[in-house]
Amino acid sequence: MTAPSTAFSPSLRDLWRRTRGPLAFVLAAVGIAALVAVSSPTRPVGHLDPEAVTGQGSRALAQILRKRGADVTVARSVDAAAAAAGPDTVLLVVRSHELRPDDVARLTDLPGDQLLVQPTPDLLEAAAPGVEVAASSLPAEPLEPDCSLQAAVMAGSAELGETLYTGGSLACYPGEEGHSLVQVEEAGRTITVLGSQQPLRNDSLALEGNAALLLNLLAGRDVVWLIPAPAAAQPTELHELIHPGFVLSLPVLVAAFALLAFWRGRRLGPLVAERLPVVVRASETTEGRARLYTSRRARDRAAAALRSGVVDRLRPVLGLGPDAAPDTVAAAVSARCASSPQQVHALLYGEPDGADPFLRSDADLVRLADELDRLEREVRQS
Amino acid sequence: MAVTGRAVFLAFVGVAVAFIAAPAGRWVPWVVLGLLLTVLLVDLALAANSRSVRLTHGGDTSVRLGEQAEVWLVVANPGRRPLRATVRDAWRPSAGAAPRTHDLVVPPRGQRLVRTALTPTRRGDQHNAHVTVRSYGPLRLAARQSSHTAPWTVRVLPPFRSRRHLPSKLSQLQALEGQHRTMVRGQGSEFDSLREYVPGDDVRSIDWRATARRETVVVRTWRPERDRRILLVLDTSRTSAGRVGDLPRLEHAMDAALLLTALAAKAGDRVDFLAYDRQVRARVRSEGRGSTLPAIVSAMAPLEPELVELDAAGMVSAILSGPRRGRQLVVLLTDLTPAVVETGLLPRLSTLTARHLVLVASVADPYVTRMAAERGNAQAVYRAAAAQRTLAERRRIAAELRRRGVEVVEAPAEELAPALADAYLALKAQGRL
Repeated sequence: MTAPSTAFSPSLRDLWRRTRGPLAFVLAAVGIAALVAVSSPTRPVGHLDPEAVTGQGSRALAQILRKRGADVTVARSVDAAAAAAGPDTVLLVVRSHELRPDDVARLTDLPGDQLLVQPTPDLLEAAAPGVEVAASSLPAEPLEPDCSLQAAVMAGSAELGETLYTGGSLACYPGEEGHSLVQVEEAGRTITVLGSQQPLRNDSLALEGNAALLLNLLAGRDVVWLIPAPAAAQPTELHELIHPGFVLSLPVLVAAFALLAFWRGRRLGPLVAERLPVVVRASETTEGRARLYTSRRARDRAAAALRSGVVDRLRPVLGLGPDAAPDTVAAAVSARCASSPQQVHALLYGEPDGADPFLRSDADLVRLADELDRLEREVRQS
Repeated sequence: MAVTGRAVFLAFVGVAVAFIAAPAGRWVPWVVLGLLLTVLLVDLALAANSRSVRLTHGGDTSVRLGEQAEVWLVVANPGRRPLRATVRDAWRPSAGAAPRTHDLVVPPRGQRLVRTALTPTRRGDQHNAHVTVRSYGPLRLAARQSSHTAPWTVRVLPPFRSRRHLPSKLSQLQALEGQHRTMVRGQGSEFDSLREYVPGDDVRSIDWRATARRETVVVRTWRPERDRRILLVLDTSRTSAGRVGDLPRLEHAMDAALLLTALAAKAGDRVDFLAYDRQVRARVRSEGRGSTLPAIVSAMAPLEPELVELDAAGMVSAILSGPRRGRQLVVLLTDLTPAVVETGLLPRLSTLTARHLVLVASVADPYVTRMAAERGNAQAVYRAAAAQRTLAERRRIAAELRRRGVEVVEAPAEELAPALADAYLALKAQGRL
């Protein structure tokens, strides 16, 4: 019993031997992840962005244009667009709501044709005077060209109609209140206003005549794709609002909380397990049978059990053996109480052929139990 | 490795220092962190090695359930630095060890003794799980910690609650043996000696042959048989797990078995013990003279109800397997349920009753008796009927056993031990052992 104690907690060397495998695995995983992250370029996910590959992006259209020999320049500011735009280029303007008012004015001065996709009212008024918004925020649906514009006629039906316009020198794709594509000749330039983004999106470019319409509209010319970057956030420097002491005490604070966690979390030795005993009441089967009787309303069985219990208990009192006949028992019982042998027999053994008055309802069964108790009391007291 | 609340406090002081000293430059938090880390590491390095500590257990090796045992632990520090430590002597929750931890300082090359009181709440062997030593540095900021195996076992013996019945049963036994009354015929069947007739003796006990050889009338005296063998068989199968009151049937059966053992030892009978479910769980054979009570108590201690069906055939052959010493009283502590008795025991009973006197003792469940008396509404009556059905089954089995010459003792949990002792005394008085 007094064997010498031996330490079984791992030593530092054991810990190192045990953790170096997982540690190497984690390091390798982190390394591979870092390598993959560095080597794979991130793609923008913006709406109608010519470099975005998501369903709402427009990389597909830009790629097709490039493949057809056009030079697609992505301009993310009006400055960049102005630098790239020339008399032979088409300026494609998407997400014009990101433009600032002075940008709008500059846009109208740029040379070359323009294709405005769902322009804001400001841009519309500045770039295409005379064109008015007739209806907006409608669902996009395939519309027929129904005009003399060659590009539209050749493309056939296209998914347009989100915004409808009136006015313009040439109007195609009529909806109920206006047209979804209008063209204006303005100072030798053709300004085309497209009332829907749907044809440009990656996920619907292949539907209807969407692709054909845009390719026809932009055909053979270099494209300057103006997608204004969101206006830069105001330079509200968060760290200027914070006390410099807080920032500088943060590493210490983290260390303090780590120590706190370690202090509270470190257990004084491993847990001790205990095999617990089974807890089951010995009366479990009896109670189970009682529930079974109750759920099935087994009055016949319940009555038989109650009756045989009383008879078993009364037999020794009456001086009868275990094989005494029912009539003998009934006679012996009735001799010691006020009931007749027939009544006692009916009470103790029931009536044959389902005519037993104690089995008709649960209330009768309760009555039977009380009657049996009364009978037993009478016999014992006599 | 562990840190203390002091280290955490120091770290938060460091946070305050870094906050206040921030204008001095960006190096402030790193210097604070470095200082904190250095202090912790230095304290850790100065702590005594917790792995080299030698631990030795000692103290009580057995205790009755409900009583308290004391176990001590010698903590020896072989190192050159003083050991400032918190020591946890870890036992299972049911061992009821207190206090949970000990704080102590052991000088270099010295040793200290700490005492842990065990108040077990369960029977069986309580093994020491492990001892954990957390050795603090001189500043009590950081600590080295390791766990050690330091084996020690305390056997928790059955409580023997029925011991309070022993004096009254012993006086009955003494009355039986004639130490209070004159030895008269009828109080035993074993021939003891001859003595002179005194008025009041039963004339039937006069030994005429001896009288003829002497001048005076001589009577035979009788005494109860001695040196009879009793085999206690404890059923540890699934039915023994059922709880009657707060305790499993097995505990009540053990209690009754212990009272019978103590009584039989006083009466000069030899008691063997067998615990069986599908295999022999424990066995005690009496060798030579002397009481087997301590051996049986010790053998009972680790027994637990096993969740298996009783193998009655195996049990009967285990009973019969011992050396053939002739007739003995086989006391079978089991449950009177149809599954155990009718299908298992009854077919094999004749081989047992042919050679031995068999007594079946069973714990009755007072809860079922109370259920049988429930009245008032339909649900209560259904419950009463189910209880009556159970009681009738037990009555039927008891009657069947009695018909085959088996003694049956059935009593509620608290009364089983005295009832079994009474049955034994009655058998002894009748000279049936």
